[in-house]
Amino acid sequence: MPEIRVTPLGAGQDVGRSCILVSIAGKNVMLDCGMHMGYNDDRRFPDFSYITQSGRLTDFLDCVIISHFHLDHCGALPYFSEMVGYDGPIYMTHPTQAICPILLEDYRKIAVDKKGEANFFTSQMIKDCMKKVVAVHLHQTVQVDDELEIKAYYAGHVLGAAMFQIKVGSESVVYTGDYNMTPDRHLGAAWIDKCRPNLLITESTYATTIRDSKRCRERDFLKKVHETVERGGKVLIPVFALGRAQELCILLETFWERMNLKVPIYFSTGLTEKANHYYKLFITWTNQKIRKTFVQRNMFEFKHIKAFDRAFADNPGPMVVFATPGMLHAGQSLQIFRKWAGNEKNMVIMPGYCVQGTVGHKILSGQRKLEMEGRQVLEVKMQVEYMSFSAHADAKGIMQLVGQAEPESVLLVHGEAKKMEFLRQKIEQEFRVSCYMPANGETVTLPTSPSIPVGISLGLLKREMAQGLLPEAKKPRLLHGTLIMKDSSFRLVSSEQALKELGLTEHQLRFTCRVHLQDTRKEQETALRVYSHLKNTLKDHCVQHLPDGSVTVESILIQAAAHSEDPGTKVLLVSWTYQDEELGSFLTALLKNGLPQAPS
Amino acid sequence: PRCTFWTLVPAADGHQEWDSNSRLARSRGVAFSYLAVGGKDRRTSVLIMDPECSRLLPALCAVLADPRQPVADDTCLEKLLDWFKTVTETESSLQLLQDHPCLVELLSHVLKPQDVSPRVLSFALRLAGAFAAQEDCFQYLQQGDLLLGLFGEAGALGWSAWSIPSVRSGWIQGLCALAHHPSALHFLADSGAVDTVFSLQGDPSLFVASAASQLLVYILALSMQGRDAGSPIPEVAAWPVCAQKIVSHVQESLHSTAAPQVTQALNVLTTTFGRCRSPWMEVLWGQLSPLVASLLKRDPIPAAHSLVDLLLSVARSPVLSSAACGPWEILAQTLHRLSPTQAGPLALGTLKLQRCPQELRTQAFGILLQPLACILKATAQAPGPPGLLDGTAGGSMTVDTLLSSKSACVGLLCQTLAHLEELQTLPQCPSPWPQEPLLDAAVIILRLCDGSADPSSSGAGRLCGTLAGCIRVQRAALDFLGTLSQGMSPQESMLQVFAILLKNLESPESSPTVLKKAFQATLRWLQSSVKTSGCSDLSPDALLFLGELFPVLQKRLCSPCWEVRDSALEFLTHLSQHWGGQADFREELQSSEVPMLACQLLQDPESYVRASAVAATGQLFSRGLQATPTSSENLQAQQGLLMDLMYILSTDSEGFPRRAVLQVFTQWLRDGHADVARDTEWFVTTVLQAVSRDLDWEVRVQGLELVQVFLTQTLGRFRPRCPYAVTLPEATSPTPHPEFLRTLCRLPLFEFVFRALFDCDRPVAQKACDLLLFLRDETAPSSGPQETRDGPNSASVEVALQRWQEGEQGQPLGDLEPEAMLALLRSLDLEGLQGKLAKSSDHIEKSPQSLLQDMLATVGMLEENEADCY
Repeated sequence: MPEIRVTPLGAGQDVGRSCILVSIAGKNVMLDCGMHMGYNDDRRFPDFSYITQSGRLTDFLDCVIISHFHLDHCGALPYFSEMVGYDGPIYMTHPTQAICPILLEDYRKIAVDKKGEANFFTSQMIKDCMKKVVAVHLHQTVQVDDELEIKAYYAGHVLGAAMFQIKVGSESVVYTGDYNMTPDRHLGAAWIDKCRPNLLITESTYATTIRDSKRCRERDFLKKVHETVERGGKVLIPVFALGRAQELCILLETFWERMNLKVPIYFSTGLTEKANHYYKLFITWTNQKIRKTFVQRNMFEFKHIKAFDRAFADNPGPMVVFATPGMLHAGQSLQIFRKWAGNEKNMVIMPGYCVQGTVGHKILSGQRKLEMEGRQVLEVKMQVEYMSFSAHADAKGIMQLVGQAEPESVLLVHGEAKKMEFLRQKIEQEFRVSCYMPANGETVTLPTSPSIPVGISLGLLKREMAQGLLPEAKKPRLLHGTLIMKDSSFRLVSSEQALKELGLTEHQLRFTCRVHLQDTRKEQETALRVYSHLKNTLKDHCVQHLPDGSVTVESILIQAAAHSEDPGTKVLLVSWTYQDEELGSFLTALLKNGLPQAPS
Repeated sequence: PRCTFWTLVPAADGHQEWDSNSRLARSRGVAFSYLAVGGKDRRTSVLIMDPECSRLLPALCAVLADPRQPVADDTCLEKLLDWFKTVTETESSLQLLQDHPCLVELLSHVLKPQDVSPRVLSFALRLAGAFAAQEDCFQYLQQGDLLLGLFGEAGALGWSAWSIPSVRSGWIQGLCALAHHPSALHFLADSGAVDTVFSLQGDPSLFVASAASQLLVYILALSMQGRDAGSPIPEVAAWPVCAQKIVSHVQESLHSTAAPQVTQALNVLTTTFGRCRSPWMEVLWGQLSPLVASLLKRDPIPAAHSLVDLLLSVARSPVLSSAACGPWEILAQTLHRLSPTQAGPLALGTLKLQRCPQELRTQAFGILLQPLACILKATAQAPGPPGLLDGTAGGSMTVDTLLSSKSACVGLLCQTLAHLEELQTLPQCPSPWPQEPLLDAAVIILRLCDGSADPSSSGAGRLCGTLAGCIRVQRAALDFLGTLSQGMSPQESMLQVFAILLKNLESPESSPTVLKKAFQATLRWLQSSVKTSGCSDLSPDALLFLGELFPVLQKRLCSPCWEVRDSALEFLTHLSQHWGGQADFREELQSSEVPMLACQLLQDPESYVRASAVAATGQLFSRGLQATPTSSENLQAQQGLLMDLMYILSTDSEGFPRRAVLQVFTQWLRDGHADVARDTEWFVTTVLQAVSRDLDWEVRVQGLELVQVFLTQTLGRFRPRCPYAVTLPEATSPTPHPEFLRTLCRLPLFEFVFRALFDCDRPVAQKACDLLLFLRDETAPSSGPQETRDGPNSASVEVALQRWQEGEQGQPLGDLEPEAMLALLRSLDLEGLQGKLAKSSDHIEKSPQSLLQDMLATVGMLEENEADCY
């Protein structure tokens, strides 16, 4: 029985490291290969030993697909390809291919810097991994091999984020990755055509939430920054090099321009230039507004945002600094935080999630006395703010996407069990489709009924046409022929052609039946009576009386013989070919009713 | 205690070898990842139950028991469990529970599961298991029927949360943890847990099912513990009840017609035979091997992959491989019965065995060779020299697989090529190794892929159609071809190899990944040609090949794909590293445009390529392999490159090229490269000026590396050296040459290193500290630190250092006199600093106190941002 199997190794009822295995029509695909930032041992990576019990990964997996550049979707990729040993193709969009190594490199540097980890992937491994990537365009159908094809759709969320359709023959699965159904400041909304996949695997981060407008959060952010710099305070915004940082830069740049502010804004990482370069390069991936205004002014060319120098942190007066890393767990952002934490005029704005163990997590949970190295206690007097700018579809958006794609069934990942359960019921009720939510390690199996393409011979089609019945669109039509299955292809041809092609001779199959008649006359006379009866009854058929005494109706042959034991009974031997089976049965039934009385 | 590398400390019972592939085993190891070599004191200082943790624990237990308080993120409970496991490794669990009654209260509270979240349930089950691993603690928990309540039939199994995989997983892991002593065994037998474990083998969660199988192995081994000493092992019927139960379950499963059940049984046996080394296994195998053999009579053979694993596990076991009922016959039968794709891994595994009958090795090798033999046969033009496996029968299944469908053909070929590649590098590699036919096969496969093979025979025609343009096979074949360079090949074959490599390198159809493999294989064959020619020079054939290769390389350096340009540059770097000194090579290279193109790529838009171009041109120039032929132009060109690289170092927006420049500079300094040697002080000063402003800490670390090379060289210059002088260690004790010290003070070297010492990035500070320690040991006599402390400008310097340490990096260090520098070096507690820096910088945040504080602090604050990941 053909089936689609899905096993999440990560993102099954959790929001951690996405990694979903899909088997479809004998092809095995890994969707995302993410890392969990909350662990600092090998639990940060999905447990790849479960992919295949035996054999090489490269032989087992047909491809890996990465939906976008966030580390919880691609962070384990260099580990998987360079340390675990996967040597096959990796697919992602062009922007993801460009930006992914920057984030991986950023993370590697933090891990090695902070933890002194030696057993971690190196720069060379990141590069070698990226060389295995095949970049795809939106809506381009890419043949992974003769049977497996993939196609990317716009997902919003972050630059380059894509949903992927995976298709083998007539079976298909759509994986959304992370997506956003409402456009934001620099990106558009996710979109997919009515592709009616067998299965839609969708993220469900905000499965139970209807998100308020992002505008309110943006206004709030600008207000807080503005108030702080107005009273002479400094604002620290810890970010990761790419993604949200660019979004916030656009916000501040526009605001500074409008308000004619002179307070300096710095970006601490040396990566700004490259990040902005990519945002400029992939302008087609941004939203309409940015594309429209591009001719007059490129939104990613910042007038007010300058490169940071380490000495600037000690300058007096207000300033805004974007610094990496985003969770205040090492490097530049932590160093600036230490300097500024003691002044209540200052403010730190955390624009993203922080894992346990980081300074970011501590201050967000309200801790104000932090033990630092050397038993020093850092008292945090500066204001601490959390602002979520994450761009996921909310419950309404998810339902909208399901409606758009019209899948046969839905599978939820990248969310919490409780929230998923709610959404699952809602989807099942509204769309009348099955909805699954496997935990990590659990396999969902969906039976499918694949439609197999069959070629029809021209001869057969012509013959059908000759019968005068013109084909009607979308109306199923019965067609008789011989199905030849040869060299993994299927063809329907006329039986004569099949015989010819296969070098076979035709066998004649005849059905026979004996009918007993009460008739004392001689056999020849009985045959004659049968002939007359049939001639009268079957006006449309060719009924013949042959010289040997037998009667034929089309291919049906009727012979009369004497009964061996009862001279008053005659036996009619009726035989016919399978083509005339209907008529044969009818005749037998007719003869069993007896012959009409002969005129005496 | 200066060691900075991390290691696993084996568990007391030595079961760290317990299936090293499973996450279960690894998660045990995780608990130890905080431990450093020689760091027992650190373990006690960081990971024990200290008063602060004791103080926080009751509040945390109360939070965990309160269903209205959502627990922080998933990782917190995992880390908490890691910590408890570590604590129970060193302390008495019983004492721990008695000192902290809140823990028992938490476990008791879990008995009312309606009040507990599934996460906490799973955590509590695992925690209870960890405590009960010590027998006295087990008894203590049993007294209150706590364990039965948790793990018995009335416990977890009846909870509605049992339907949640993490709870089932917690249940199994808890049992795994406690199964360490005879009392635990009785408990397992009496509580009905074993039957539940049987059913969990078929769990829909892979993690639960796999853990269940492992737990069965564990229980079996525990039941049989102590039965190995002296007396003969009885038959299974006389084994302990628990062991018998498991064995009969395995037997039943092997009889089953359902493939998943057979798989489960085979997996249990594989782990058992892989893990244990005891004589009772011989009895077990003796009893079960007929059943295993009977699987071969079924069609199709159920659970073929698991069967292969089992047979290899048995064959590797020292107890079983030498037993009377050894695995060889079944192995041979299985090799014969399995399909070529299934038999491949078994054949490779068999060939890797240390001890194995020769016939079986021959059979196994034949299976690995079969697909390539078929390819050779199908594509043979005329009866030629002997191919692979000539005269042997069989192979029809292989032919069927190769011709049945594209995916089957590609799968079998890739697997076979990878297996043979692996085999050739092993000491167990079969001898004689059919080098020539294998080379022929690799070459013909590549030809089938690039469409240049003759498709005249029907088999070849079919294969051409199947393999044309197949990147997967091309990559596998190129990898294999590269490995074949290790063997001795006749000249004809080498020519054939060079031709096909060149074809792959120049073909416009070749994908970037294929090209990369082709470059790698080419490099290996060039190296092997040196070996063949008997001296370090390239053979005439190889030189001829180079003449054709450089135009191709030129083309590849101009590829629109950055991957290709980068691979080509990496290849060029390797080439000039190996043969840069050889006249013929130099001539070929210099007559091409390759060096010029490499130089142009210093301005490539892609930073990876710029970095590789830096490495390649640095290598070329250090070998004098620049494009321009005349010597005056040479000089100009070289100086031009030095300035180009300096420019990249100070202006490139990305770290890779800047790091590459420093690597080249450090190498140039080390090699005494003419441009650098001309004015080393200017060179070092200019480099350090650029590096000190760099935001990339790895660039700064490499700057320190360059300083170290400079120091070592300068020190060597000022120290009298006589290779024949016999001196006592004391005689070499440092008496710093005044000029050496003056040189150091003249450069901005100290400012750079001292700034680095207080760098916010730990590796920079660590490297600077090591460097200063080296310098201090080399320059400052061992007298006390007091003498020249108040030199002319040491006070201002100390003030500056103080500021830097506090994070204010603005103030410059000012001029430094040699005496002040020496005094400063002596006054700093460099050893103390080195000790601090050796620790991971998050050791405080990762401490149990920090964890408990964080978990308590997040109570009530979660709803806002818990799901907001990215």
